[in-house]
Formats: sequence, structure tokens, C-alpha cells
Amino acid sequence: MGNNTFKTAWPSALILAMAALWLFFSSLPGLGYHWQWYRLPRYFATFQDGAFIPGPLLRGLAATLEITSLSLIFCFAAGLLAALLSGSRSLLARALAALYVELVRNTPLLVQIFFIYFVIAPVLGISRFWSAVLALSLFEGAYASEIFRAGIASIRPCQWDASYSLGLSTFQTLRHVILPQAVRRVLPPLVSQAVSLVKDSALVSAIAVHDLTMQAQVIASDTFLVFETWFAVAGVYLALNLALSFLATLIERAARLEQ
Amino acid sequence: MEKAPERGGGERNGSVLSVRSVTKTWPGGAAALSSVSLEVRHREVLVVIGPSGSGKSTLLRCINGLEPVDSGEIVVNGIRLGREKKSRDLVRRQVGMVFQSYNLFPHKTALENINLAQRLVKGRTLAEATEKSLALLRKVGMEDKAGALPARLSGGQQQRVAIARALAMNPSLMLFDEATSALDPEMIGEVLDTMRAIAREGTTMVVVTHEMGFAREAGDRVVFMDAGQVVEEGAAKTFFDAPAMERTREFLSRIL
Repeated sequence: MGNNTFKTAWPSALILAMAALWLFFSSLPGLGYHWQWYRLPRYFATFQDGAFIPGPLLRGLAATLEITSLSLIFCFAAGLLAALLSGSRSLLARALAALYVELVRNTPLLVQIFFIYFVIAPVLGISRFWSAVLALSLFEGAYASEIFRAGIASIRPCQWDASYSLGLSTFQTLRHVILPQAVRRVLPPLVSQAVSLVKDSALVSAIAVHDLTMQAQVIASDTFLVFETWFAVAGVYLALNLALSFLATLIERAARLEQ
Repeated sequence: MEKAPERGGGERNGSVLSVRSVTKTWPGGAAALSSVSLEVRHREVLVVIGPSGSGKSTLLRCINGLEPVDSGEIVVNGIRLGREKKSRDLVRRQVGMVFQSYNLFPHKTALENINLAQRLVKGRTLAEATEKSLALLRKVGMEDKAGALPARLSGGQQQRVAIARALAMNPSLMLFDEATSALDPEMIGEVLDTMRAIAREGTTMVVVTHEMGFAREAGDRVVFMDAGQVVEEGAAKTFFDAPAMERTREFLSRIL
């Protein structure tokens, strides 16, 4: 049903987007800004002697993709672990999970990135790239853990009963009975979390990781193509996240239970 | 209903289940079970009846360790159910359970539902498990639905798969917790027929049910519970004709 609403909403959404664009472009003359879009493409890529040479923006996009895909894996792992700890019988495990979630959710990501890069990284001896991945994974993992927790709690207790009565252990029950159902249910909020992760990854430019945002900052200050650069980069993030959502829709459809 | 001749007095007369003075109080202070004792012998079908809230289901859940008891003793096939995980796992390997709400795993097909525990708990290979599962599906008349997800099955069909799933673990004792109570009337018969067939094969069973017809014809003994206590117990043949206790008579007059 949700999928159908989505489909029928598409045309209206398109019209609204066009109206917004018209509003935007009609306000431009009043801005007094001299647009030079033609200067931008070379920062994406150039062709020399028929060879394709990726520019700083494409290299930044590659770095962003690398950081976010690694962080996505680790954030779901951290989230799942925290969710399981918070559901554990051990008081220590629950306290640990609560401490992690509350500490991470209630402080700014930027501060966490600085903290990990300047305080933790020297101790662990990790690069700025891995500091960025660690910070993002931990940050998004705290939110993911709440999603997983809700998913696990949404499975009726009688599924546990049935599984236990067949002799399965708690771990086997989670692995084969509870999580496969829970993850299917929380797929939409997990996708939202992944989208947030892609956008939040822009903050790692603060520790000079050469991601898409960092490259945009450099180009904007070198060329004064401020609006062109940032709009183009925002467009790239938008495209990336729309692709992610589309992929998620496909997964969701494939994994949907016939109920 | 014809029964296997050796049941209830044959070559093996050992106790499969023995419940001794089991008491359980809910966290609020209400008594769930007060000093319940009963015995089930090999190949015997014990039917437990009583009004809702009388502790029948709680008793079943205690027998395979889904609910802890406060005091008393539960012994299944010589294994004493304790608080430690080890004894619980051992008891659960001996006991199969069928629930009122079927509780099939919705993300797995009928066949996968039956295979899962065989592979994880019994360590059977996929081929061994599948062979066993298909044989059981045939037995409960569901062989053509092996690849169906539970949502595609009717309640009666789901419950028959759930029975096959429990039987696949070769339990020495089967518990039925109001297995037909959630079913539409026209589906009750098919599940009761399956249960009768299993009983005829000599499966030891404890059946909590409101189906008095089933209790009379398929049961060996009947236990009437009320307010967490065993009020009366007797042979199925005579129990319904001549109940001894006033509370039993009152209950039967309301339900029959």
C-alpha cells in the first residue's frame, strides 16, 4: 500500500519541484550574481588526448562513497550489537549500551569527529580516513541501535516461545527467527539512517579528509564559483541518496513477506 | 475411536511426565498454579480441561520451561527440569509443543519451518531433514503445500504444519495448548483428526482443550483444573458421565 501511495505521489512531487525551481530562477536576477556554470565541468572530469581524467569533485565523490559504504557496514554492526546488549539480561551490558547511545545521540557529530581524530586516533594509531569512518559508524550506529531495538521488540513473544520450544538457543532464535523478521520490518527507517549517513559524511571534511564536501570547499575558495560549486555538489548528494532509496525500494520489495 | 491395543497398560508403563506439587505465583501476587501434581505414562493421552484462567496453559508452559515455577518438581523422561539452562535444553528436546496461535515462522515456508530445528538442534543434514519433513507433511495431509509461506495457508493448515514441526524433533511428549481454539469452526475437524491420528500411533500427549468430544474419545484420562488447582481427575470414559466434584459438574453443565 505504501508503495502505491509513493507511485501516485510522483507526478505531484515533480510538479512541486518544477515550481520550486521556477521560483528559484526567477529570483536570480535580483541576486546580482554572475553565473559561470560553464567553468564547472572541468572540476568533475577532463578529457586529455581522449583519456578520461577524473577531477577533484569526482575524486571527492569516490572518497565519500568509500567512507559511507564502510561506515554503513560498521554502523549497522555497532547498532545491532548495541541493540542486543540493551536487550540482554546483564545489567552491565544494558548500562554499556545505554551509555553509548545517550552519549553519542546527545552530543554534536562535529565534536565527536574532532574527539576521535585528535584524542582517540593518536592512541590507536589510525589515519584520518579511518577516524572519519569510526566517528560516522559510531554516530549513526547509536540511531541504528534504536531502530533494531524497536524491530526486535515488535516481533510477538510467541515467536520466541515457538523457537525455544523446538530447542533453539537464544542466539539461534535471534539469528534464524527474530532478526530476519525484525530487519524486514525496519528496512524503511534503516534506509533513512543510511541517507542521513551520506549527508552527515560531509562533516568529515572538518578533519581534512578529501571527500566531496572538502573538494567543493577548495574549488569554491580557489575559483569564487561559490553557488555553482555548492549547488552542483548538493545535486550529487541528492542523486546519491535517491539512488540509495531506489535500491532500498528494490530490496524491500524482494524481501517483503506475503502477508 | 479405536486405539492401539497396547496403550495404557502394555510392555512399557514408565512415567514420561511427572509434575509434583508445582506452585507458581504471578508477579502481581495472584496464584497461577497451586500445588499441582499429575503423572503421564508412556503412550498415554491426558486431557486437561477447565475454565479460562484456570492455569492449564501456564501448566503446559511450565512443563517445557517457558515459564519458571516457584516450587515443586517437573520431571520429563527422568530429566529434572531445573533453573539452569542445561536441564531446560534437555527437557525441551524431549517435549514438543503446539500453540493456540500456531506460531509458525512467517518468513519461512512450511518445509523450512519444519527443517529449521532439525538442522540446528538435531544436527541433521538438509537432505535428512527434508526427507523427514516431507514425510511428516504427508502425514498431516500438507505435502502439496511444502513450499508455501504461512500467510498463504489457512489456520487449520498452519496448525497442521505446526504439529508436523513439533513431531519432527521426535519428542517423547507432545503438548497441545488449545490447538483448535483460534480456528474457524470448519477447520477444527481437520486439526482434531490429525491429533487423533497421532494419538492412535501411541504418542504421549498432554492436551489442553475445550473440545469435550475429543477429550472423551481420544483421551485416556481427564484432569479438571480450576483456579490453579487440579480439582478432579479420572478416566476419560467415566469422567464425563459421573463427575465427582460439584465444581466439575458446574463447569461441564455450562460447556456441554
